Amino acid sequence: MNTNISAIIGAAKVEAIQLLRSPLLVVLTGIQAITFLILVSLFGLTGSMAPTALVNYDQGSYSKSLIQNLQSAHHSFRLEPMSSDEATKELAQGKLVAEIIIPSGFSQTIINGGTASLAVNVDNIDTDMTHDIQRALPSAISHFANQQEFPNIHVTVSEHDLINHDTSYISYLIVSALALDAFVVAGILSAVSAAREFELGTVKLLWLAPVHPIFPFIGRMITTDIFAMASMIGSGLIVVAGYNVHLLHPFEMCAALSVCVFICGCAGTMLGTALKRVLPVSSLIFGLAIPFYVSSGALEPERFDGNFMWYAGHISPLYYAVGFLEHAAYGFQVTPEPIFLDVIMLFVWAIAMMLLTGYILQRKLVI
Amino acid sequence: MKIDRSKNSYQLAVEFEKISHSVDKRLILDNVDLAIERNHIVGLLGPNGAGKTTLLSLMAGLIHPSSGRITILGKQLPADTMFRKRFGMVFQETALYQELSVYETLKFAASLYGVPNADTRIGEVLELIGLTKRKNDLVRILSGGLRRRVSIGRALLHKPELLLIDEPTLGLDATARHAIWEHLRLLRSMRNTTIIVATNQLDEAQALCDVVTVLNKGKILFTETPDELVARAGCCLDIDCKRAAATLILNALKNSADVLRVEQTGRGVAVFVKSTTTPDKILHKITRVAPIDNFRFRTADLVEVFQTLNGVYEH
Repeated sequence: MNTNISAIIGAAKVEAIQLLRSPLLVVLTGIQAITFLILVSLFGLTGSMAPTALVNYDQGSYSKSLIQNLQSAHHSFRLEPMSSDEATKELAQGKLVAEIIIPSGFSQTIINGGTASLAVNVDNIDTDMTHDIQRALPSAISHFANQQEFPNIHVTVSEHDLINHDTSYISYLIVSALALDAFVVAGILSAVSAAREFELGTVKLLWLAPVHPIFPFIGRMITTDIFAMASMIGSGLIVVAGYNVHLLHPFEMCAALSVCVFICGCAGTMLGTALKRVLPVSSLIFGLAIPFYVSSGALEPERFDGNFMWYAGHISPLYYAVGFLEHAAYGFQVTPEPIFLDVIMLFVWAIAMMLLTGYILQRKLVI
Repeated sequence: MKIDRSKNSYQLAVEFEKISHSVDKRLILDNVDLAIERNHIVGLLGPNGAGKTTLLSLMAGLIHPSSGRITILGKQLPADTMFRKRFGMVFQETALYQELSVYETLKFAASLYGVPNADTRIGEVLELIGLTKRKNDLVRILSGGLRRRVSIGRALLHKPELLLIDEPTLGLDATARHAIWEHLRLLRSMRNTTIIVATNQLDEAQALCDVVTVLNKGKILFTETPDELVARAGCCLDIDCKRAAATLILNALKNSADVLRVEQTGRGVAVFVKSTTTPDKILHKITRVAPIDNFRFRTADLVEVFQTLNGVYEH
């Protein structure tokens, strides 16, 4: 057998043995993948289940209709009927985001043709939540008014959905979280593997061996990528079974995850080789993961927050990965670029990362 | 032993010509000439920072000299990667993967070197280093001495013509040290491997080496046999006595032609006696000038050898 191939296979086996004999590292890295799914779910949960008190002093029919509209007006609400005293107390304790008060005589005022007033007390410690309340109330009121066919309402909403089914925010988000998982799992495993060679001083053996040191590093990366892929399959199963996501294109999903793992494995190997220390490189990958993920446009289908962030997103492979993954899961096109361009760009990233990693290994490993 | 320039490159395992090496403008090796014959065990002896590890690293091609020419086994460095099959190196720190077993460690080395019939060869090496019964033990549970043996075994796996070992018995107890010396001697006699050992322990050089090259501050002081080196440093006579007696002894011996060096110690006086005279003669002379409580003869240690040699060179 060619010595280079023998070195790749030998290093791949050694990495597998080392990982299997470090079950804590493997298990904890797998758990990281799950905790990142939970983390991303929490973004959605906090945004969609804001507890809001409903204090109703009116027993008329209009107040009941308004409450129904409030409940269906905006995903952000979790309306909790309670007394005024309870609501005031819980709002002060930070347990509620807002308190909506339907005054006594609300229905009668409307029957009499008057203008009824709703009092809203808002905990504006986080304006994001305040804005949700501010957006939701007029929407619910106008819907209520249309439903009751109040005079002087001349505008109604006629909604036509682009997609024939709704996707909850968390279901949408959790698919993109797989790209974040790939970055963390493949990045950490490959970075630790590369950095450990320097930390233990075993890289000297590779310098002395009659093969280019890049070959054993390739062997190690193949194994870490296989372990990372196994972890990704676990995460994927959680997404399918736990979050009830029905994959539209399962093979496309596998391809997308494989490319993500490869890119992130290269990135980890490169950073591990450049930094040569396990702890700093692990911290760096954790530090990079969330910003790359958030700037990738994962949290919303399009960038609505200005061109700078939109352009910044394009320099991250996760941007194209999220596009690829959302298409694989739901058939969505979530980037302005067509899906084939996302796929091409992701493969361009894979080739670029492979070449860059090769260059860094060449620079750092050759005497 | 002088460098024999009449030997051609084929007969020499290592040849350094005017090698200098600097790191961050600090001179580590200064115009070093060195020739090491094949099939010898050669010691590179010197205190910490003398340049021993740098010399080994240059031989292995791990670093390149700032100036000069290095020829290893007839091949001028830098050589192609396949040349690395002809030598092996054991590092000061054992550089082993803790989670691998002894067998797996050797198996990985075999894959890196493309060793044919790897399992047979691993069996031979395990036999040689005496670890056949412990081949399935993980490296992390082995003692320091056994780990050192594993790294020696790993370096031997591809049957190198030249073996470079940095501090072979660093941090080991006496039993482990003797076991490793025995393995190295066996290796030389069985395979005619040239072995170069960097050490700062005089007893190791004496026990193991045919020839010793002494370095200090990046320069080679001389190359000779261990016996010649010890003779050069002389025998040490430790005298236990009172402070006043010590002063009398120092004054009596400081200009003696039979004494290399004399110094006051916490317990009395240490006298380094030239190999051309007998310690008894000096002891007799001492007892005539001052009363003593006790005395001991011993071999000078490396630090004392260097102190003595520096004294010689200062003269």
